[in-house]
Formats: sequence, C-alpha cells, structure tokens
Amino acid sequence: MLEAADLMVFYENMLALNNIGVKCAERQIVGVFGANSAGKSTLMYTLSGIMEDIRKKEEMAGGERITVLGQIEYLGQDIMGLKPSARARKGIVLCPERRRIFKESSVIENLRIGGYLASKSQAKETLDYTFELFPPLKRLKKRIGGFLSGGEQQMLAIGRALMAQPKLLLLDEPLLGLSPLIQSLLVRATRGIRDERGISIIITEQYARPVLPIVEYAYILENGAAVLEGSRDEVLNNPDVRSAYFGMSEQ
Amino acid sequence: MEQRRKERLDRGVKVRSDGLYALMSWRELSYLTLPRLVLILGIIVLPFVMPNMYWQRVISIVCIYALLALSFDFLAHFLGLVSLGGAFLIGVGGYISAILNTTFGLSPFVTIPIATIVGAAVCTLLLFPCLPLRGVYFAIVTLMYPLALKRVIEALDLFGGTNGILGVDSFPNSWVEQYFVIAMVLLFLFGTRRLVNTDLGLVFRAVKDNDQAVKASGMSITYYKAIAVFIASGMGCLGGACIVHIFMWSGISLFALDFSIIPIAATVIGGGGTLVGPVLGAFILVPISELLREFGTLRIVFYSLALMAFIVFRSEGIMVYGERKYHQFERWVKV
Repeated sequence: MLEAADLMVFYENMLALNNIGVKCAERQIVGVFGANSAGKSTLMYTLSGIMEDIRKKEEMAGGERITVLGQIEYLGQDIMGLKPSARARKGIVLCPERRRIFKESSVIENLRIGGYLASKSQAKETLDYTFELFPPLKRLKKRIGGFLSGGEQQMLAIGRALMAQPKLLLLDEPLLGLSPLIQSLLVRATRGIRDERGISIIITEQYARPVLPIVEYAYILENGAAVLEGSRDEVLNNPDVRSAYFGMSEQ
Repeated sequence: MEQRRKERLDRGVKVRSDGLYALMSWRELSYLTLPRLVLILGIIVLPFVMPNMYWQRVISIVCIYALLALSFDFLAHFLGLVSLGGAFLIGVGGYISAILNTTFGLSPFVTIPIATIVGAAVCTLLLFPCLPLRGVYFAIVTLMYPLALKRVIEALDLFGGTNGILGVDSFPNSWVEQYFVIAMVLLFLFGTRRLVNTDLGLVFRAVKDNDQAVKASGMSITYYKAIAVFIASGMGCLGGACIVHIFMWSGISLFALDFSIIPIAATVIGGGGTLVGPVLGAFILVPISELLREFGTLRIVFYSLALMAFIVFRSEGIMVYGERKYHQFERWVKV
C-alpha cells in the first residue's frame, strides 16, 4: 500500500533520517520504535507531507534549510512533493504527536472539522463509530477540547483523524504520557480500527511493550537509521532489542 | 540517480573569529568590526552627501522613524508585546518637550532628556493595566491611546488645541540637529543590542517564550514587562521630543498613524529580531516614500506594492538574509 524508499531528511546539515525504507501493506499495523531523536516524528511528518509545510515556512522565515530526498509510493503513485492536504485527500491522515486538538472548539466541533473531506453520510457514520469506539467522548460532546484530560484528548485526536476517512492512519506516539489503563484501551481501539474499518496503521512509540501485541511488522530506529526490521517475533527475539525497547531483560 | 543537496556552512573566518583568536589577526578583527564600522560611518557621513536642506531634514526624520522601529522591534521580538503605539510615544514625548520649552523657557538639550524620562514614565503608567495580559490587548490599547488623546486635546482645547503649541525653540543649527538624532540612534541601537544579551535580556526573551514558566521561576512578568516598556517608550518619547524641536511646533498631527505604521513596515523589511534591521529598514523606507512624493496620492499604492512584494518574496528581511550570506557559504554536495 505504502512503500517509502531511501528517505533522507536533512535539517540544515544534520541528518535526521538516513536511508530509511518503510513498507506498509493493506490492513497491516506497522510499528516504528525508537528513543527520542531517533527520527520517528520526522518520519511521520515526511510520510504525511507536513514536512513540506515545515520546509516552506522555514524557508520563508530564513531559518534552517530542510532537504527531503527519496521516494514515497502510495497505491501505485509517487506522492513525493505532494502537499499534506493532497495526501490527506488520498487517504494518508496523520494523528500528530502531542495530540494538537483544536483547544478552543468543543469535542463535536473538533470531530466535524476532521470530517471536512467526508461526505455527509460518511461523516455521520464515522461519528457514530467514533463514539462507539470511545464512549467517553459521547458524554463530553459539548466540552471544550482544551479542558479534556490527556487520555480524552488523545481519543479525540484519533477520532478526528478517523473522520477524515483515512486509508492509512499515521499515529505518532498516541500513548505519550497516558496511564497504563488508558494505554491498553487505546491499543485495543487501534486494533479495532484496523479490524473493523480495514485501515492500515503506522504507529510510533518509544516504549514498544504496550503496542507490541497488535503490531505485525516493526522497525527500530536509532539516530535516524533503521537498525533492525522484521516481523513481531523476529524483532522480539533479538536480545538487544528486548532489553532496550521492550523492557525485558535476559535472565 | 545522483541526488544533491545544497549545504550551508559557516565561513572559516567566522569560526576563527568566534573566540579570543579574533584578537590575533587583522583579518579576523576586521571581519568582526567592519560591518559595524560601515554602518556607523555610513550614517555619520550621510548629512554631508545630502544635496540640500530638504534632504538633510529627511535624514533627521528618518532617524526618528529608526528610533521608533527599534522600539517596536525590541518590544515585539524580545518581549512578545506588539505595540501599535508609535504615535502615542511621539505625541507624549513631543508635547512634554514643547510645554517645557515654551512655558519654562528651557533649552532643547534640557527638555529632551526630561521629556524622554518623564514621557517614558507616563507611557509606562498608562500602559500598565494591560501588561499582565497576553495577546492582543497591548496592541489594541496602544493603538487607542493616540486616537483618544488627539480628540481629548481637540475637544478640551488643551495645549493650544487644534493650533498646537507654536514657537518651540529649534536646535542651534541643522548640523547639531542631525548629529544629535544620529548619535541617539546609534546610542540606542548599540545599547539595546547590548541589553538583550545581558541577564535582563535573557529574562525578556523568556517572557516572550513562555511567561508561565517565568512566573513559576519566581519572577514577576509585569515588573519585567514594565521595565522593557519603559525603555521602549523612552526611545519613542525621545523621537517625539526631537521632532518637536525640528519642526518648532507641536500639534495633534504628532498622533498621526504614520508613526505607528511605518516603523512596523521598516521592521518587516529590515528583518525582525535583529535590531539593526529595523534601523536599516527605516533608512530605506522613509527616503523611498519621500522620492515617491511627486506621484502624489499614488505613492501610497507604489509603497504598499513594494511592501507586499517584499513580504511575499523576501519575508525573512534584509538583515537576516545579509547576516546569513556574511557568515555562511553554500555549496552543492552529493548525498
């Protein structure tokens, strides 16, 4: 479905992504794991096209020069250089790190903004699905986004991304700063989204353990390069990875 | 396929002159000091190369706009306070200076410092209520004061009403006038550049970045904002006091919106946050607007077109662009 090859991103002279190739098949959940500064968010921005936007803004303000090289093929088309809005129209939707919900709009308004690309019936159907997936949101419909708790905000962010009718959903650190209970709820919901809606998902996380059960293929990033990739079991059985990313030590 | 990207690197001489090594060779020393010397000497010889009295007068006005632009840039890019009140500062400083001069017969060299300090205090006091707030409040309040003061003076017939205060003393001669304002621009330019790198400047920038974190560090943002507003108002009031003695007249046209708008345009063109940029911007913009005077009212059209082109094609500003070209070079490299 999505195949990115030889991705390189430079922030001025700093290499943020080094020759990374990522593949995501239809109805697959792909995990991207790595520590801070490994390049997870850069990868997500590059895939979703936000990087084009950042690059342009930096250029206008006379800041850093950002260079993006490589190929991204999506559904048989080259989407490199497309604007983020065009990519969203093609079905690549990013749920950004730190949620970035519209803080001054209510929950229902947030969701309706997310549904800009959907037809009326689609939007209604997805809205119902979102409320079914995240029951707390239904209760908080009229609440202003900024007053929600972290977990509720994350649910809202995922719901908003779903409203855009994605074919490929990019979840950038969805578990950041959440309690284990909410984490497991979100992980279950993520699997539900894939199973029930047939959406492919690329998910990034620092600590792989909570999302591991649902991931089918995983990439481990270190300093902008993919040091290891493989199916869940392959990655899981690598002793270095086990201790570093999954919190399991060899006894 | 061979892929290439453009790389930016610091020039060798910049790297060498970053540390103490700069003192060891003339090349590095001149690399550091030449741009400053060119600016200072350029401004100093400016009155000599002007063809006639009219253009010498323009130089004085340019310097006053430069002071205002400097004050705007200082507040906007180091405190995060967007001030639309250039006219307010000019008006307050101008009226204080004019009143002191005509009523008490003090010489310009006494009234200008008094107007600067008293005016800055008055402005800070009047702006004090909106200092604890964040957002557009400061901009709106600073925009409203000159409009309100203008009408108050008109309606209550204060300070000569619509006729203004006539018979204000001028500077001894035009050379003193020009070099006084030029000296003030240079003094405040290098003064604020020094200031923003001190500990106080550090707090200012912190207030801009995240005022809640500053509060959490046990500092009062209102206090620091008041200090900065005092300094910035001082620059504006100084400009106002000078303009009154240049035109030998003080009236409600001191509250004209030009004094609020042109400094902002100068900051955009020169490059915000550099402090030198806005001064250069004023030295470019105001003469251009004088040159366009023969087109009559159409000059505003040309003027706005030039501004818009600038914002679209070079939105970083002259100074940011220039600094980058001066310190860095670019080359294509294979990836």
